[in-house]
Amino acid sequence: MLEKRVVLFALLVVALGSRFGAQVRTPDEMLVNPDPKDWLTYGGAYNSQRYSPLKQVTAANASRLQAKWVYHVDGLGGLEPTPIVMNGVMYISGFNRVDAIDARSGNVIWKYQRQPPSATRQRGTAVYGDKVYVMTSDGHIVALDARTGGVRWDVKSQAPYEISGGAPMVADGKLIVSGNRPGGFVQAYDAETGKYIWTWSAMPKPDDPAYKTWGGAKPQGAPIWISGSYDPELGLLYYGTGQPNPQWTGQGREGDNLYSDSIVAIDVKTGTLKWHFQNTPHDVHDWDSMEVSVLVDLPFRGQPRKLLLHANRNGFYYVFDRRNGQFLLGTPFIDKLDWATGLTPEGRPILTPGHEPSVRGTTTCPSTAGATNWPPPSYSPETHYFYVVVHEGCGVNTITSSTDPDSDTGYFESASDPWQQYVRAIDAVTGKRVWEYKAVRSNHYGPGLLSTAGGIVFAPEQFGQVSVLDAKTGQSLWHFNTGDLITAAPVTYSIDGQQFFAIAAGTNVFAFGLGDSR
Amino acid sequence: MKRVVSIAALLVTCTAGPMVAQRRGGGPGPVNPFLGNEQAVREGESLYGQHCTTCHAPGGGGGEIGPAIVSGDRADIGVNDGQTFNTIKNGVPGTRMPPQRLTDEEIWKITTYIHSLRGTAFDNPMPGDVAHGEEVFWGKGQCGTCHMLGGKGGLTAPDLTNIASMRKSSTISAALTKGQHHEYASGGAHLPALPPDGRYLPVHVTTADGKTVDGVLLNEDSYSIQMIGNDNQLHLFERGRLRRIVVDPKSLMPTDYDKRLTAAEFKDLLAFLTRQGTVAPPSPRRGGPPPVEQ
Repeated sequence: MLEKRVVLFALLVVALGSRFGAQVRTPDEMLVNPDPKDWLTYGGAYNSQRYSPLKQVTAANASRLQAKWVYHVDGLGGLEPTPIVMNGVMYISGFNRVDAIDARSGNVIWKYQRQPPSATRQRGTAVYGDKVYVMTSDGHIVALDARTGGVRWDVKSQAPYEISGGAPMVADGKLIVSGNRPGGFVQAYDAETGKYIWTWSAMPKPDDPAYKTWGGAKPQGAPIWISGSYDPELGLLYYGTGQPNPQWTGQGREGDNLYSDSIVAIDVKTGTLKWHFQNTPHDVHDWDSMEVSVLVDLPFRGQPRKLLLHANRNGFYYVFDRRNGQFLLGTPFIDKLDWATGLTPEGRPILTPGHEPSVRGTTTCPSTAGATNWPPPSYSPETHYFYVVVHEGCGVNTITSSTDPDSDTGYFESASDPWQQYVRAIDAVTGKRVWEYKAVRSNHYGPGLLSTAGGIVFAPEQFGQVSVLDAKTGQSLWHFNTGDLITAAPVTYSIDGQQFFAIAAGTNVFAFGLGDSR
Repeated sequence: MKRVVSIAALLVTCTAGPMVAQRRGGGPGPVNPFLGNEQAVREGESLYGQHCTTCHAPGGGGGEIGPAIVSGDRADIGVNDGQTFNTIKNGVPGTRMPPQRLTDEEIWKITTYIHSLRGTAFDNPMPGDVAHGEEVFWGKGQCGTCHMLGGKGGLTAPDLTNIASMRKSSTISAALTKGQHHEYASGGAHLPALPPDGRYLPVHVTTADGKTVDGVLLNEDSYSIQMIGNDNQLHLFERGRLRRIVVDPKSLMPTDYDKRLTAAEFKDLLAFLTRQGTVAPPSPRRGGPPPVEQ
């Protein structure tokens, strides 16, 4: 009897296999080698290249792009999520909320809203098989059925850690989340069941040598509020950590303040730190290192390497060997950089004196808004260019007391060096600037980017324009005014042969495609 | 909807939303005993710095946990002091805003400080001789050369008819005395909107056929320019069709009014400007009695 069942099952498997063939892939396979028609993670793929092999839209025909639909995200504003697209369904997330819409038409399929509604910024969700995840404002993680929005499970996250607005990511079957409090952390839960697995904290314990880099103060800060990247072969997660606290004064925390302002490589199995690199030791300008690290495999000075590319808020573009964190290159990607004269052979900044925030105000370039910020960059394997949104300009940092570490602080735009935003293409392995596009009026933060095999860079602008640039030259090929501030990052996907681009602008999500296709 | 959301943001932590806001307070709430008390404002500022800036930013801005308590528009005023007091005293259930273990007097002082941050100039007009300020505006100050007010004046600077309803007194004063008076949010905080940069900067345009147009910028982006010419006409251009565009980064607005005017003239000009506005119910401005301080 048993044998007969096994034979029948085997026949069924063969029949299904021949019927559906290559379409049957595990959730992990879908994430490791994403189908170009989907946009499954915050960075488009684990390498965070935000590069799509789709090429229906090219530099030659981009001028025929037009708006296909607009979805109004009722009740939310200043949208920052990267839409996630799987099998023709787009998931737009907030805290306590996911809207699932037909990515072809913009029609809503279902909405999940846990009470109370939350206006806190949130930057995307994660999908795994038939599940999509929601982070809640009361510290829960909820897995929804991707087809209906029904609650598959609901677990309380590990106290006292509070999950921040960075998009979660599924890696190695684990739902990876991060947060800021009680100090920066990365955490893993079983993506199938929600069971807690591990936490890595950016706050070193007393038995960690890094603890001694705080001058006796208790480590504070190093928030982790942006999604990371992942190398499935190495089994390493790459996240960036934020500034040490107090933010704008180093009083009382003498030393490098590890693991603040660092790129960290974490073992996905165990949650242990494999390597770290601190971009800004003893930061007093709030230059978080949470800018997305982009993973590429390229020859570097003649040697094939597994590289990690990173444009930092402090104004330097870095190249590392991502297996071990070896510093390979660091060079400014902005013109106005005055706080350091360069980097040592180990990548440590060589400081220019006199840039501590002061009661009178201290001018420093770049500003605290940074040479770039959370809007993610893109890398094209066709051009080998790294595309990044850049802010030129200086800031004036103030404190209200030179003796109280917790005194009021702030910063404002320097009158002599006002802020201006650009999209810049940088040669990935030399760091040399190839072209730039000036986004008129846009001055800081701004949206993220993506590049495609069609030879284009999809480059929204802070003040609402959506531009398509030639990936080789930066020349503008097409534009559309969405009418609202954009601080999200775009995606591209395909349904039945039609390529779409989507971007959240203000309170809406817009989708674009060629005018002469269906 | 934006207004509802802004009200919701008030003192509620990042986890709260419109529904919570509508519940909070449950009505007008108690009356602020320190309204208009400058000493209470100063003490409230100190208390705010000690107890509120763990979550909210200094000056009422948004922090990494708590949202902005103060924004630049009048939507702030939609929540009254009694409701603010209740929110601080009781917290907001279901969010990260906890009840504060402070005395009622301390909470009222924080409330008074927040009130001072929120109010526009119209709510907190500056003292002085309003009629004389109006004379300075049209006379020695030469403000009307560029600015329109009440249907009179120029077109090459913002209309000031409603300025007191849109700006705080401190912002109006800074505009007359400081070259740069835009302050941006502290790091990590998000701005719902940015001040429109570059508006009314001098601009000089040369069209493809060699015609030149001079004026001030009303708006621009990477593809177009909107300006008002010195001919008092709107000019709308596509950038790609222009031969030359020069935007002067320095505004035509003088920023030394505290020096080019006497102290009394400057004070009276501020008294005049901080009363130029309308709120519901509208009341007559110039020519009528000065509005009662609210």
